[in-house]
Order: sequence, then C-alpha cells, then structure tokens
Amino acid sequence: MSIFKKHPTSADRSVADRRRHKEKIERAIKDGLYDIVSNETIIGENRDKKIKIPVKGIKEYKFIYGENSENKQIGSAKNKDISQGQTIGKTQKDGNTSGDGGAGNEEGVEYYEVEISLEELASYLFDEFELPDLDKKRIKKIFSEKSQRHGYRSKGIRPRLDKKETIKKKIKRKLSLKRIRKANDSYDEAERVPFHEDDLRYRHIKPKQKESSNAVVFFIMDVSYSMNQEKKFLAKSFDFLAFQFIKHKYQNVELVFISHDTVAQEVNEHEFFTRGNSGGTLVSSGLEKCQEIINHRFHPDAWNIYVFQTSDGDNWSHDMSKTLVKASELMNVSQMFCYIEVIPQNVLSTMLYTDVNSRLSINYQQISNQKFKMVQITRKEEIWPSFKELFGAI
Amino acid sequence: MSDWDFELLEKWDDKICQLAKQHSLDWYPILYETCDYYEMIGNMTYSGMPTHYDHWSFGKSFERTHQLYNSGTQGLPYELIINSNPSIAYLMLENPAYLQILIMAHCVGHSDFFKNNLTFKHTQPNIVVTKFKNYKKRIQKYQEDPSIDSARLESILDSAHALQFHNYAHYKKREPSADLKKQYIEKIKLDKDNKYDNFDINQIPLEHDYDLLGFIAEHCTKLEDWEKDVIMIVRDHSQYFIPQIRTKIMNEGWASYWHYRLCHELDLPEKYHIPFLKSHNQVVAPHVGQINPYYLGFYMFKHIEKLYGMEECFIARETMHDESFIRQYLDIDICRELNLFTYAKFDNEYKVADVSDEDGWRHVKKHFIKNIGINSIPKIYVNNIGAANKLYLVHDYDGRELEFTYAKNTIEHIKTLWQSNIELKTVHNKKIIRL
Repeated sequence: MSIFKKHPTSADRSVADRRRHKEKIERAIKDGLYDIVSNETIIGENRDKKIKIPVKGIKEYKFIYGENSENKQIGSAKNKDISQGQTIGKTQKDGNTSGDGGAGNEEGVEYYEVEISLEELASYLFDEFELPDLDKKRIKKIFSEKSQRHGYRSKGIRPRLDKKETIKKKIKRKLSLKRIRKANDSYDEAERVPFHEDDLRYRHIKPKQKESSNAVVFFIMDVSYSMNQEKKFLAKSFDFLAFQFIKHKYQNVELVFISHDTVAQEVNEHEFFTRGNSGGTLVSSGLEKCQEIINHRFHPDAWNIYVFQTSDGDNWSHDMSKTLVKASELMNVSQMFCYIEVIPQNVLSTMLYTDVNSRLSINYQQISNQKFKMVQITRKEEIWPSFKELFGAI
Repeated sequence: MSDWDFELLEKWDDKICQLAKQHSLDWYPILYETCDYYEMIGNMTYSGMPTHYDHWSFGKSFERTHQLYNSGTQGLPYELIINSNPSIAYLMLENPAYLQILIMAHCVGHSDFFKNNLTFKHTQPNIVVTKFKNYKKRIQKYQEDPSIDSARLESILDSAHALQFHNYAHYKKREPSADLKKQYIEKIKLDKDNKYDNFDINQIPLEHDYDLLGFIAEHCTKLEDWEKDVIMIVRDHSQYFIPQIRTKIMNEGWASYWHYRLCHELDLPEKYHIPFLKSHNQVVAPHVGQINPYYLGFYMFKHIEKLYGMEECFIARETMHDESFIRQYLDIDICRELNLFTYAKFDNEYKVADVSDEDGWRHVKKHFIKNIGINSIPKIYVNNIGAANKLYLVHDYDGRELEFTYAKNTIEHIKTLWQSNIELKTVHNKKIIRL
C-alpha cells in the first residue's frame, strides 16, 4: 500500500550550506587569531603539530530565557529518590566567572574545537600577504619543480590509465568499425568490440619548472636582562608569526636567527624561540653579526634580504651612534629593515623618564629610508594588527 | 548484507496497513525512501523536507549532528517523517528488518496524527512540498540576482531566523491591519460603555502584535519587496513547523502507542519480536533528569485508554495539542509514577525545586505547561511605533527573565530588518529595563 523507493542520491544535499558555514567559521578563526598566534604554547612548535583551537561558534541568537531560579525546568527521575533542594548538577562554567554575582542571566560562550596544523593556520592567516619588493636578482635563481598534467599518451604506467578517455577511444573505434562494416554489407549487430591495447590512454605528467627568487630573512632578537618575560613573549609572538608567514609563503627562503645581549650569536630556530638569556644590551652587536653573515653567505646581489629586529628599545646610549650606522648599512643592502619594539603597556609610563639617548625608537626615527619600517607593540592584541600593517598593505 | 529487501518490506507494510485500518486509523499514503546514514543526517538537517531553501545554519546543524553521531554520543532517530500528502518517510539502509517494521508502524501513527489533529489544519500538506520548492527557487533567484547584495540576503535570513518562532502561534492568527481596523470601527460604533473613548483608531498596531515577522513585513517602510518576500518565506516555514513543536509529546506518544500495538498484533516471528521489544523499550525509556516525549506520550495514551477508553484517545488525538493534553490528563498518579520534578539554577548549582508530592505536583504541572513546546520561547509583542519610526517592543514578563546577551544580539537582528531604532521593555535582575 505504501510506496518504497531509493532516496535519490544525486547530490550531497547540504554541501553548499556546509561550505558557507565553514567560510563563516574560517572568518571567525581569522577574527580571533591574535589569541591563537600569541598563545605561548604554540610558539616554537613544529609545523606539522596539530593544535586544537577553540573557535567561537557562529551563534544564532534569538530570545531565550536565562537560567535562574525563576526558570524551572522539568525532569523525570523514575524509580529514584529525589527531594526538594537536592543538588543535581553544577554549572559548566568554572569558578572564576562567577565573580559577577549577577542573577545568572548570562549565557556561556559556545565553542567549536577545530584541530588544525600550524601549516593550515598559516594559510588561513597569510594568503593575502606578500613580502614587499621581492626583486629578481640576477645571478642565482632557484627553480622549484611542480608536476603538471599534459595531455594523454598511449603508453604509460597503470595508475595513470584514464578510463574515460580509454572508453571514448573504444567507442570511436566501434563506430568507425560499424561504418566500415555497413559500407561493405558485413554488419552484424551482435559483433563484440572488446578493448584493444590501442584504446588505452594514459595521463601524461610533465614536470614544470617554476622560477622563484632567493630570499634570506634575519631575525634579530634582544634577549638581554631588560627583556622580561612579558616583553619576550610579545617579541617571540611577533617573530613567530613573521617566521610562519615566510615559511608558508616562500619555500626557498633561508632563515637566520640571531639573539644578542652584549654579544650576538647565531642560533637555530628552536633555541631562538625558546631560550632566555640575560645580561646588558648592545644592539649594534646583533646588527654587526647580521652584516657579518651577509658578507659571508648572502651576497646582496644574489639575495633579497629582510631583517626583523626585535627589542624593548633599550640600548646603551654610547652604543647608539654605532647602532644607527650599522642599521643604515643594513638598510642599504636589504629590501626591508623592520624594527619591532615591544613595550608592555604598564611599562610605558615609566619609560618617559628614561634617557632619551638610550631609546632606540627615538633614534631610529631620524632615519628616513623607505626600506625602514617600525612598529610598536604594547599588548598581545596588537600583534596581529601590526603584522597586517607591515605586510598587508602591499 | 541487510536482511531485507523492498519485497519483504512491502509484505509487512501490507499487514501493518490492514491492521491499522481495522483500528480506524486514517493516514496519508506513505512514501518510504531508503537512504544511508549520511543522507539521513542530510535529511534531518532540513527536517526531512526534500525542498528547503539553503542557509549556512543548516550546514552548521549538519556538522553538529555528524560530529555527535561519529563520536558516538548521539544516535540517529529511527524515523523521520514529514507532514505532507503523501507523507515522506526515510528508512535507513543500515537498519535491520525488524526495526524497519517498527518504524513503518510508527510512521503510520504519525501520518494519522498529521492528518487528523486540528493543530495541523493550516499546514497545507497537499501542496507543502511544492510550495517549499517554489520558496527555495525564489531565494535562489535572489541569490543569483546581480542587483541584490548576497550578504544582505544572508543577513535578512539570519535575522528572520532569529525571530522565526515569534508569530501567531502564541495566540491567534494575525490579521492584516486594514481588516483589524474595520473590526475596530464596528466595535466603536456599537460601544455603549465608552470603553473606546480614548482609543486611537489610527495607531499601529491596534492590538499587541506577537507576529514580529509578519508585523515587520507589513509595516516596515524601508524594506524592499524581495526582502519582505524573504521574511515571509521564513515566517511561512516556521508556521508549518510550529504544529510539530506544539504536539511533540502527543505525536510521539501516539506513534509509539501504535507501533507497539500493531507490532504485537502482527505476529512477528521470534527473530523479530525479541529485538523489537528491546528497541521499543529503548525508545520509550525514561531519560533521567529530562522528559522523553516518546515515553511520556506513550505512557499517557496508555493511561487515558485505561481510565477513559480508546475513544477518548482518539478525541485527544484530534482536538488537542501538548499544552491542553497535559492540562487535561496529567494527574498526580502520572506525576508520581514518572517521578516528575522541577529544577532550576541557584547560583552555580542546579537544585530540585518541586517534587511530585501531595502539594508539589501542581507546581510541577504548572511549570511543565510553562515550558511545553512553543511556551519555552519568550513572548514578545509590538506595542507601538514611536517618533522617528522607533519600534517599541514589550516582553510579556512571567517571572522568567531573558538571557541578556542573547536579547541584546537579537535586538540587533530586529534592527537589521526594521532599520530604525528599537526599544525592548523587559525585566532584568528584577527591575524593569529598556534595551
């Protein structure tokens, strides 16, 4: 009496709505990124490491009742003893949010946990940004190889057999055979036309060379005593972001990490992001080290050079003139020289009393060079906007 | 792989239908579609409606269900059937034969309920699938129209969704203001007690208007025609689905009553009968701390049959919805047997407020009715339009306060539609406030 049929399985019904939802989630990820990128636990981590990030769900707001003593819900407790005033559960919010003491009409935030690798995170973050002014240098060019489809061939390896093209070929042959048979009156409908080796078609893959330019990026970080935990955290966050950006965008980029107090040292990536030093500050030492490495390994004629210098802006005043000279020299050979000054907000006021001559930012301001960029970061919320300012407007 | 084919299902379906007829059930023809679990989630996402407009929120709903299903925290419903003529129902390929039989018997109960219950009178089951298809096409057309900003289309849908259940379902059907005005002119003519002396016949609205989407579509001067159309499409969808929200307990109870009864009368072979009983017990098992509508509805229909006879059950199935059903039939015996209680959040803990003892059960019943179906959605009405087109809304406060963040964000949604200022009068922390 009823009718039975197979569900028409033509299309995955909600696929468009899921894609749109995903786009919205991605936007939410981007919007909340400063929280993620400046999360201490990811700094210095491997690029393949999966990190779980909470993403605020896309809320669908409507009028609802708040949870409070007036809003009574119903439950059943068959075969169980219950009595008035008995506690049957606790709220999911942890204790520290209960401080507001309100009537409890506030709703908790709904989170999705999205698991992505740093690599994926980088592509969310950086796809719209570019390193500025990547000159094509004359001498050393790096070619990266990329495979590309390039038509069909009659010979090839089994995995590249293209069934559709093969069948097309067979149908063609069958039709022409039919025509010939009809022409000489020997057509027989029952005649089978099996696959022939000549029908087989294989996808052809050709390596394509992609030209890419050479670039080297220097990260110079002040790890002196004055760089306390908070500053170091801001500095590392920014550098980590820049580092991930460059790794993501430019596969052939060389990276050099230099940390300095009064003496500079070339370190590896891991050390750079995890190690803490102490001591006084000679900013020029870091710049000098950078110059030395350029002279040895990266000739400016062959390399695009980028320098990121991070510091809390404190320097010995007698080192200032040397620093400025070194910085200018670096600017002459590089595409971009970027100075990131980290000054946590609570320190800003006391800063006013320090010696003007020892402030890097004030001295750097005298430099008028288009390649020079300077940003100041006082809170972690500023990391991402500053980053965008540096790379986004290109 | 599976232990059934269409032939087997048809055989059992014939038996089910014959028995159901003998019991005077009267249902729409049913179209069963088989699908796998993934398609089932897809169908659930759109409430089983094969033609439903697109919106990202359905993508979200799909992902959530899929995630819960995959993590094992949530199973899929055994049955999904829509209120249409013919009724479309889905059978999951993964289910064994006995379960398909149970589901088919269950679906006959649902379809009978859809066809006969008064709450569904205005749902147009004959044309609903086609009607929704047209709506879907219209929304698609707006989506593709180059003169329409698709972001605006999405935000209209977002905002209309926020208000979708604020319509006449709370009270009575909304009448266009011109008709209402005529009625009031008559009333004033016949008025002998000077009741209407200070009544402004030109005020908008003449009565509190709970149909927020309908009101906005009729009275907002800033909306373009396509925007009004989208709002009315959303409104029409929710009006179609609201009867199901209002009869969840009865509908599931009725369907469970009948699958139980029919399957017993079917003379199932033992290999089906034992797993059937097991599944049935799962479906109608009480959920501790919650209300399982299958269980409560099933239990109540059995209870009514015992106390007042089968005829009474049929009367209830035709004339009632959950609210009146509970009001009429929830007695102290049921409350005690099911050990119903109320609970609420006190500071950071959920505590039992009322239990079903001699005095308490009436409180339990009162709060149950307050929370049933659409009653769990706050009632908001349009009071008037003020200077500069400002829209004045009032929340019917009944002791329950609005969730503050949600209220503020929902007001933003109303602003998206109304495009002038909004004020909502409500109670927060026991004080009257205006948002």
